[in-house]
Amino acid sequence: MTQFIFFSGKGGVGKTSMACTHAVRYADEGKRTLIVTTDPASNLADVFEQEIGHQVTPIEGVPNLSAMEIDPDKATQEYIDRAMAPIRAAFPAQIVQVMEEQMSGPCTAEVAAFDRFTDFLDVPANDGVIFDIVIFDTAPTGHTIRLLELPAEWSQSIDTASVGTGQTCLGPAAAIQDAKHKYERALSAMRQTEQTNFVFVLHPEEISIKETRRAIDELTKLEIENFSLIVNGIIPREGTRNPLFAARAEMQARYLVQIEFNFPYLKQRMTLLADEIKGVSKLRQVGRIFFDAEPAASLDEAAGVPVQSEMIVSSLDDVRARLAPNDQRRTVFFAGKGGVGKTVASCIAAVWLARQGYKTLLLTTDPAAHLDDVLDSPVGNEVAQVSGQPNLWAVNIDPKAAAETYKKRILDDARQRGRPVSAIKMMEEELNSPCTEEMAAFDQFIEYASQEEWDSVIFDTAPTGHTLRLLELPVDWSKQIDVKVFASVDGTAADDVAKERFGKVIEMMSNPEQSTFAFVMYPEATPILEAWRAAQELGTVGVHPGLVVANMVIPPEQTTTPFVQSRRVMQEKYLKEIGQRFNVPLVQIPLLPHEIKGLKMLTELGEQMYGTEKVTA
Amino acid sequence: MSNVIPLLNTLPTSVAPSDVEFFDPPMCCPTGLCGPTLDQTLLDMNEMILALQRDNLRVERYQMASQPNAFLSNAEVMRLVREKQMEALPIIVVRGKVIKVGAYPSTEEIRAALNGAIK
Repeated sequence: MTQFIFFSGKGGVGKTSMACTHAVRYADEGKRTLIVTTDPASNLADVFEQEIGHQVTPIEGVPNLSAMEIDPDKATQEYIDRAMAPIRAAFPAQIVQVMEEQMSGPCTAEVAAFDRFTDFLDVPANDGVIFDIVIFDTAPTGHTIRLLELPAEWSQSIDTASVGTGQTCLGPAAAIQDAKHKYERALSAMRQTEQTNFVFVLHPEEISIKETRRAIDELTKLEIENFSLIVNGIIPREGTRNPLFAARAEMQARYLVQIEFNFPYLKQRMTLLADEIKGVSKLRQVGRIFFDAEPAASLDEAAGVPVQSEMIVSSLDDVRARLAPNDQRRTVFFAGKGGVGKTVASCIAAVWLARQGYKTLLLTTDPAAHLDDVLDSPVGNEVAQVSGQPNLWAVNIDPKAAAETYKKRILDDARQRGRPVSAIKMMEEELNSPCTEEMAAFDQFIEYASQEEWDSVIFDTAPTGHTLRLLELPVDWSKQIDVKVFASVDGTAADDVAKERFGKVIEMMSNPEQSTFAFVMYPEATPILEAWRAAQELGTVGVHPGLVVANMVIPPEQTTTPFVQSRRVMQEKYLKEIGQRFNVPLVQIPLLPHEIKGLKMLTELGEQMYGTEKVTA
Repeated sequence: MSNVIPLLNTLPTSVAPSDVEFFDPPMCCPTGLCGPTLDQTLLDMNEMILALQRDNLRVERYQMASQPNAFLSNAEVMRLVREKQMEALPIIVVRGKVIKVGAYPSTEEIRAALNGAIK
C-alpha cells in the first residue's frame, strides 16, 4: 500500500527542506518515491537544483525519486479543456469563448489545483508504476487547511446542487459529480492512519507553535489524526558561545518544554545549520544528521571571511518616501512567504506611521493571522483602535466571519425586498458554497481599500501564493464582470457600479504614489527567489515592488563566534543579491535575542529602522 | 483517469415532458449570487419558478456548461443559438414551443403561454 506523507507548517520553517530530505532518504532505501508540491510559490526546483515543472520528473542522482510541481494555471487549463471538449464541438465560437472566460474565474483555479492533487491520492502511479511513498510538500498552513477542507464542503455543495437547482459555482455540476467520488476517496485515504501521516515542521517559537496547534485542530475536525512533529532550527551548542544566540537558545529551550507538554505526538528535532540546504548531496548529509544523529560537520569553513559591516544601507529618505503618505493616502502591502515576518514588518511600520501622526489602519486577510500576538493587544473582526497607540486602528478579516456577514447582508436585503421564504431558503443554500468565503473576504478588502478616512493603510497580506490570488482577484473579477455584462440580458446598473469600484482598486494598487508593495524575506536563497517570483507575477498585473524588508539580519557586532560569523557571511551574500535583484530601497529588521512583541518594542524598532524625526511632506 | 468529463450522457432519463424550460445564458449560478453583484432579474426568475412548481408544473433550467445535451436535443433552440449566438439567450420554451428569445419573460407571459397551450 502506498504511504502518503504530508508536510505542513508555515512557510520559512524548513518544510520543503525536510520534505526533500525524507524523499531522498526513502528513495535511497530503495522505495519508489514521488514528491509533489501544491504550493503556487514552489521551490522544489531550487532545492534539487534542476528544472521540474508541471509533470512527474525524475531527479538526477537519486534513482528512485521523482518530483512534480503542480502549476495552478496549467492545472486550470487542463481542467477547462476536459470540461469544454464536448462543448467546443457543438457550440458556436462566441459562446464557447464566453464560457471559457467564465471558467477561468478564481473558483475554477482552486478546483483545478485540488483536482490534480487528488489524482495522486487516488492513483499514486506514473506510467503504470505505483509509488511506494508519495510526499506532499503542501502549501503554507492557512491555504492548506482551506484546500483540505474543500472536499467536505464540496461534498455538501454537490449534494445540495443535485437536489436543488443542479448548479454550483464550482463549474458544471455533472463534471463535479464525476469527481466527487475521487474527492471522497482522497479524504478517506487522508484519514487512514496506517496509510497517511501529517508531519508538522515548526520552530521552537510562540507563533510557530500556535500555528501548528491551529492546523492540527482544523485537521482533527476533519477526522484526520495521524500527526508527528519536526522541531527545526534548534541552535547547536557551538552557536551558544555568542550572547545573542545563547539568549535565543534559552528562548528555544522554554518553547521546547512547551512543545513537549502540548503535543502528544512523535517529535523529532533538527539542528540549525550554518549553511543552506541545497542539492542532493547536502540533502543526504542532512538526512544523516536527522535520521542517524550524525553531528553536523564543523561549519567553520566560512570563518576567516571578514564580515563587512556596511552592507547595502539605503538612505532613510528613500525608504520613508515609500512608506509615508504624500499629500494623498498611501496603502502599503507587505508581501512575502508566510513566516518570514510580514506581520512583524507591518506592525513596525503601522506603529511608526501612527506615531508620525498619520491616521493608520492595519489589517490582515490571512486566515492564520496573528496581529494581536505581535501588537500584544486584541484585534477583532471590526475596525477598532489599538489601545495605547493613538492614531492606530486594526482589523482582522477572517474569511469565515466575512462570509457570514456577507450572507447576512444579502439575505437581509432580499427579505427587505419582500422575497418569499422559499426563495430566501434557496438563496441561503446557494450562499453556502465555498466560493462565498473568497468573495466575501475580497469584498471586505475592497471596502477598506476604498475608505477615504485613513492617511495610511497597512495590509499584512496572506502568504505569497494566497496573496497573489487575492490581489489578482480584482483583475479576475473585472474580467468576470465583462463577461457578465456581455452575457446578461439587461446590463444592470449594479454591475457598472461594481465595475467602477473594482477599477478604482486596481488603479490604486498599480499607482506608486498611492501604493507600495513591500517584499519581506530572510536573506537566504529560497526566500529571495520566492519573493522575486511573486514580484514577477505581480508585475504582470502592473504592480511593482517599492520596498524590500530583510528580516532576522544578524547585527555585524554579534559575529563573535565562527558559527555566527558563518551565518552572517551567508546573509551578506544574500543582502547584496536582494539589492541587485529588486533595485528598490532596502530596510533591515535585526535578529533579536527574543521575539518581537508589544508596542514598546515595535516603537523602538521603528525608530531604529525609519528614524525618529518627522517626515515632512 | 478519463480525459473527458462525461457531460453528454448525464441528462436525467425522466419521461414526463416539461411544461416550461429555461435555456439560460452562461452564468455562474442561476441566482446570480456567485457573481460580484446580485442580479435581481435572476432572483425574480427563481421566485417565479418556485411559484410555477407549486402549481405542479414541471419547470427545467438548463445551463450550457452543465446540460449541453438539453440544448443539443432541441433543434429550434440550437438553430437560434447558431444564428443569434449570445443574443438568443435566454430562450424560454413552454410545452415544446419557443415563446421568448433573448430576455426573461414576465409571469403573465408564461401564464398566458401555458393557458394558450392548454386551449
